[in-house]
Amino acid sequence: MTESTYAQLVGLCAAVLLLSAVLIVWRRSLPAQIRLLAVQGWALGVLVAVLGVHEGDVELSLVALLVLALKGVVLPRVLTRATVTEHGALREETPLVNTTASLILLALLTMLAYVVSRPVLALGSTSPLAAVPVGFAMTLFGFLVLSTRRHAVSQLIGFLLLDNGIGTVAFLTAGGVPLVVELGVSLDVLLVVLILQVLTSRIRAEFGDADLDDLTELRD
Amino acid sequence: MAADGYLMGTVLLLPATSCLLLGVAAAGLRGRTPDFLLRYTGALAAAVVLGSGLALAAAVLDQGRAVTTLSGQLRADALSAFMLATIGVVGLTATWAGAPRRPQPAPSPSYAALVVLFLGAMSVAVLADNLGVLWVAVEATTIATAFLVGHQRSRLALEAAWKYVVLGSVGVAIAFLGIVLLYAATRSAGVATLSWSTLHSTHPPLDPQLVRLAAALAILGFATKTGLAPMHSWLPDAHSQAPAPVSGLMSGVLLSVAFYAILRIQSVAAPVIGVTMMRNMLATAGLLSLAVATLLMIAQRDLKRLLAYSSVEHVGVLALAAAVGGPLAMAAALLHVLGHGLAKATAFVSAGWVFEAEGTTRLADLRLLLSRRPGIAVPLVAAVTALLGLPPFSLFFSEVAIVVAGFQRGLGWLMAAMVALLTGAFVALVRRVAPVVFGHRVEDPDHEDREAVDWSAPGARLPLVLALALAAVAGFAAGPFTTLLTGAARVLSVSP
Amino acid sequence: MNGNGPATVLAVTQVVVLLVLSPLLIGLMRTVRARLEGRVGGGLLQPWRDLRKLHAKEPLRADGTTWVSVAGPMVLMASSIVVCALTPLLGTVTFDRLPDDLFVVVSVLLLGTVALALVGLDAGTAFGGMGSSRHMTIAALVEPTVLLAVYALSIPVGSSVLSRIVDARLADPASVMSPVSLLSLLALTIAVVAETGRLPVDNPATHLELTMVHEAMVLESSGRDLAWLELGCWLRLAALLGLLTTLLAPWGVVSHVSVPGLLLAAVTLTAKLALAAGLLATVEVFLAKLRLFRVPELLAGSFVLAFLAVTASYLVMPG
Repeated sequence: MTESTYAQLVGLCAAVLLLSAVLIVWRRSLPAQIRLLAVQGWALGVLVAVLGVHEGDVELSLVALLVLALKGVVLPRVLTRATVTEHGALREETPLVNTTASLILLALLTMLAYVVSRPVLALGSTSPLAAVPVGFAMTLFGFLVLSTRRHAVSQLIGFLLLDNGIGTVAFLTAGGVPLVVELGVSLDVLLVVLILQVLTSRIRAEFGDADLDDLTELRD
Repeated sequence: MAADGYLMGTVLLLPATSCLLLGVAAAGLRGRTPDFLLRYTGALAAAVVLGSGLALAAAVLDQGRAVTTLSGQLRADALSAFMLATIGVVGLTATWAGAPRRPQPAPSPSYAALVVLFLGAMSVAVLADNLGVLWVAVEATTIATAFLVGHQRSRLALEAAWKYVVLGSVGVAIAFLGIVLLYAATRSAGVATLSWSTLHSTHPPLDPQLVRLAAALAILGFATKTGLAPMHSWLPDAHSQAPAPVSGLMSGVLLSVAFYAILRIQSVAAPVIGVTMMRNMLATAGLLSLAVATLLMIAQRDLKRLLAYSSVEHVGVLALAAAVGGPLAMAAALLHVLGHGLAKATAFVSAGWVFEAEGTTRLADLRLLLSRRPGIAVPLVAAVTALLGLPPFSLFFSEVAIVVAGFQRGLGWLMAAMVALLTGAFVALVRRVAPVVFGHRVEDPDHEDREAVDWSAPGARLPLVLALALAAVAGFAAGPFTTLLTGAARVLSVSP
Repeated sequence: MNGNGPATVLAVTQVVVLLVLSPLLIGLMRTVRARLEGRVGGGLLQPWRDLRKLHAKEPLRADGTTWVSVAGPMVLMASSIVVCALTPLLGTVTFDRLPDDLFVVVSVLLLGTVALALVGLDAGTAFGGMGSSRHMTIAALVEPTVLLAVYALSIPVGSSVLSRIVDARLADPASVMSPVSLLSLLALTIAVVAETGRLPVDNPATHLELTMVHEAMVLESSGRDLAWLELGCWLRLAALLGLLTTLLAPWGVVSHVSVPGLLLAAVTLTAKLALAAGLLATVEVFLAKLRLFRVPELLAGSFVLAFLAVTASYLVMPG
């Protein structure tokens, strides 16, 4: 793979990741957000594969397959199970911060991401490192979604967006983490999502709808 | 020598594997699990952990260096051995005393299995050499306890479980980002490793700015799991809604294991970036936790929630000790970990017994416990006395030592603030608990039939007595215990 | 190559080509829509026929209208012609004193926008005022996006002159596919759709009070005034679509003025515009108009995309 093709592919994957993150904050329909998460998973898997092929690292290529399978297929499927109710596909109500303000906040958060990632950018000027701010931006977008959405599944989506962002930073800065750690992390994420999915269905059975604004009884 | 090495290596593997086996046994036998196993499997696992911890402590003190196995993946130095023993003893207290005695129904297999897996995950966390494996184990504790917190399936329990899992996982995810950046820093310095022992021994030239960012994120993330303010909001909910023995375990050791992770990160980062930033972060978090706990304890209405806020208070003390740094403060912090774990586990188990006997944990509805049900109230009073920081319990000595260390290191104003807030917390806790336990019977002279003074308790009292005795004695202990404490503190020492 | 001679020739050619093309473009869009909806439609030349009819009629102006109703359509027409002359659609030769800088082009477009709004206000009717206010709201939200999106494209080039940007993209075809380019062109597409009043921001075929924006402003105009207004808006649409397609696919644009070159450029421009217009019309069939209160969401989203393009262009290393 030539250097320029490599840089272009890395740039393209980063752009797709960023664009899908923006669209997740933008769209209000939950199935659309889950599809975008799947797209993100695929883009992240392709990014890891490109990195692996460039470095000639077999382990990284295996990890790419793991990421593709987990974040591109399995997790969206688990999430979809959580959104299916007797009323059909779900749609998020107006979030705590309305969409226009959220989108403006995205611009500010992107600036913050660039500021925060300056120590990382100082490490060098290769093309993966130049795309690290995208990872930080995705993490911050995940925070935004987590803190401003009321529906339980939306918060789950925000958490997965956060996790994708951290994964992006990990792969771009260090070529991932050791394989053992990577396997453990993937397993942990899968289990957390499964747990939250089960909790969502229990909450829905108990409260009638998974609107987390109803969960305010525990307070001081 | 070689045989000793193999023996100790096996001991290192023992906690994790026995927890796994017991967990599989409890859950896997599908309804035909013997009753005894369901009730006491947690206690069995905790006993194994305690035995391993003590054996490893003896081995480390004897050999003068750490024990490793699995080509260094699991590693026990003085600090790890001490933490393992603490997990064991606090776990034993909570699970043995909290085990429901016949004729009460045995817990469900999934409950028993999850408790055992929880203990196993904590053991792996303190024995892991690789920071990534440490992270995986800490997240595993969140996973294991998620359904334990929501066990009662009531609305409140579900709300608590949701907040716990989401906030805990987000916090730990931030910590993972910090660990990833640390790995990137090591990679760019040429020694791609996440093993804190390697980083300690070789001191590679890491980029200070990057390590600063990494350490800040990692400490922020693990501080969420420790329950430090302002990321503490999950703690009162989770610890008050979980079943009492689980609350005892979580307040007693899980918070300490997360604190242990902060200590390891601090010891790795301090040679590169100095102590100032981390000291400021931990001091702010500690003072804020103390303030929040004191303010919110004053008006608490629920006993278990009150105890949960007391955990926030004590974790704040631990954070302040970590901010002070140095051998005396670190040794005091570890002593505080032990004392707080024992006292808190006892308190929570007693609170659970109160709930079983009285049917409620609302402070307004509980009265005259010491006169009517001394079997339950005596351990509760003793544990609360310990938590208040009164002598002869070890928490008194550890808090005094922290204050002395703080003054020695020039952080007098910080210590003054801490003492003031601790006094406030003392007052708040006494004000809330005293009406529950004390009072005279003559309040109601027309009341003819006297209720028999009830000396019984719904569970075994022996472990609680032993725990409180240990907490009382630990402050005065000498000999091998002190050597272990100072050895553990030395592991964390940072060259000035 | 600079020089006022070739630049003048280029400008005049562009104006003439677009004057001829833009009604045909509108006709094409209407026909595509009609055919997709199962109708026959009025035919490709219907807009020309409409213009001829309107031009022959005397404008009827209401009592109380001022010179604004007379001058407004002229100003709009003039601004559209200047935009057609300046935008690098056929060639990238610039005037010496009047480069087709981004800010110049956007200012001229804004002049036309304001003229149209004032015409809507001038008659003093409720519909006109309502249309003008909606139009200016959308314009206010769109301007930052247009500026940011083209600015993002100008950062790698180092100059905000549109012709230089197109030259740079001609010289380096790979930059068309770069993330900066894709993000900013996406933002620019949404901005162009909003600026020219197409679905999902404004429905050009509606006359319902709740949904009119552009139609409300021209409701009171008639005869030659209406002819200028309509032609002016069609020219803007053609110019902006042309700019978009030129940025996306710059091949065919000439750097030196020559007769065969200009001829080829005109043919490729026609093809590109036809393709773009057809695509736009097809997509419009499947879109519903957005509620006015949700239009700021769409425009904020395009603003964010343009902003991300700007930040990305500072950071992404050239391949």
